[in-house]
Amino acid sequence: MISRREFLAGVSGSIGGVWPLLSRAADESVALPGKEGMIVRSHRFLDLEMPVEYANLFITPVEHFFVRNHMHEPSTLDVSKWRLSIGGEVEKPLALTLAELLKMEQRTVTNTLECAGNGRAFAVPHVPGVQWQKGAVGTARFGGPRLRDLLERAGVKPAGKHVMFGGLDEVPGKVPPFIRSIPIEKAIDGDTLVALNMNGARLTKHHGFPARVVVPGWIGAASCKWVTEIKVLDREFDGNFMSPGYRMPNQPVQPGEAVNVADTHPATALKVKSLIASPSDGASVKSRAIHIQGVAWAGEADIEKVEVSTDSGTTWQPAQLSKNHSRYAWRRWSHFWKAPRGGDYTILSRATDSDGHTQPDSVPWNPSGYLINVVDQVKIHVPV
Amino acid sequence: MFRYSLLLAGSLSFACLAVFVCLARPHAESADLLPGPVPAKFKTACLECHDAGIIVQQRLNKAAWTKEMDKMIKWGAVVDPGDRDVFIEYLTTKFPTDKEPYVAPRTAFKKMKHDR
Repeated sequence: MISRREFLAGVSGSIGGVWPLLSRAADESVALPGKEGMIVRSHRFLDLEMPVEYANLFITPVEHFFVRNHMHEPSTLDVSKWRLSIGGEVEKPLALTLAELLKMEQRTVTNTLECAGNGRAFAVPHVPGVQWQKGAVGTARFGGPRLRDLLERAGVKPAGKHVMFGGLDEVPGKVPPFIRSIPIEKAIDGDTLVALNMNGARLTKHHGFPARVVVPGWIGAASCKWVTEIKVLDREFDGNFMSPGYRMPNQPVQPGEAVNVADTHPATALKVKSLIASPSDGASVKSRAIHIQGVAWAGEADIEKVEVSTDSGTTWQPAQLSKNHSRYAWRRWSHFWKAPRGGDYTILSRATDSDGHTQPDSVPWNPSGYLINVVDQVKIHVPV
Repeated sequence: MFRYSLLLAGSLSFACLAVFVCLARPHAESADLLPGPVPAKFKTACLECHDAGIIVQQRLNKAAWTKEMDKMIKWGAVVDPGDRDVFIEYLTTKFPTDKEPYVAPRTAFKKMKHDR
């Protein structure tokens, strides 16, 4: 199980060194144009985490949006020669240019994108992979043609059950290519896009230029970057990143236990989750009047409520949800609290979604550390 | 010592990296993150495809490191059969489950204006 206590211990373990970290960041920060103040989980392949303190906006600036790459980014790309092909179980295969995609009806979807492994660092026992803490998540306005419109133009045959995406990731060695598929029902959802824009500008290279898929409410891995091939299949794609990758055990397993892939299912929609953006964990606040704020999201569901506890979970008070609201996007929330006296406090946040799911105190361990959505918490010091 | 500056990549001298095809690639200096003594051939076997940062942030037991090593060999890491166990021992010893968490660096920060 990954409990709230372990979650906090993991954060505190790293935040305990917050000043050395910040100091080193100032002295030895990594020059990466277009990405500001991000936690570098890996350079090659590039994996950048958003510091949780940046989760205080409805729209995450591209500069602060997390980056998850499984492979090398494309080293060269000639847009004049780039094509998006649509083939497989279709009547009329297509190969479209960027200009042709831009001429199609454009749809904008505000989507909270979260890596399935966000929070993996808190798994006990530890699991291999990028050791994301809280910030492999962000919200952006993605714009581009609906995938449905492309599939309609190509004419999906009755045999078409899944839609596969292949990108231009450069594969090292014998690593399996990063290719995944989604069910046809999700592919023809009117909000599933071939995105060309992010926050009103053309996609940047780190986020999939010239085109990426955006599968709203689903784990980030579904939203293939640098997409160049769309293929309709008669079944789920069976490559490494569909199986054994990105799968959840059908039943809870013992921590550390190996799981037979036959007893798993693909990870799809994100789970209800909240983050406390401020005050920061380990902060020593200046005043007893404290503005607690953060974000909460729930994949394909809506956020129904967010509650805050300032007494380590004994009692809970409702937080105020912001007016900015869009399906698939996180809600900002806030709660004003006056600490009764100086001292050390543990602040918790927990969200409940429109399907009645509430963030749990603990979640079952799984071998890849996917979909960890335990109640968030920070510890602060209030001056006497 | 932690060095990540892209600008320094060409000027820093890393004799041990001279054999890398990827010497000119950025971040080859991430090999500095590996605590010594590093087994011979470990850097060439592992850092050809990815940097050392992804290694040093892991906290795994021997069984998990063995699984990872075998996956990497399957995925193209060139590891002599005689080196496999040496590499696993190095990883298990240097990055065990009870080691303190790795503190990752950050990208340079530039103050920006935001839309709320």
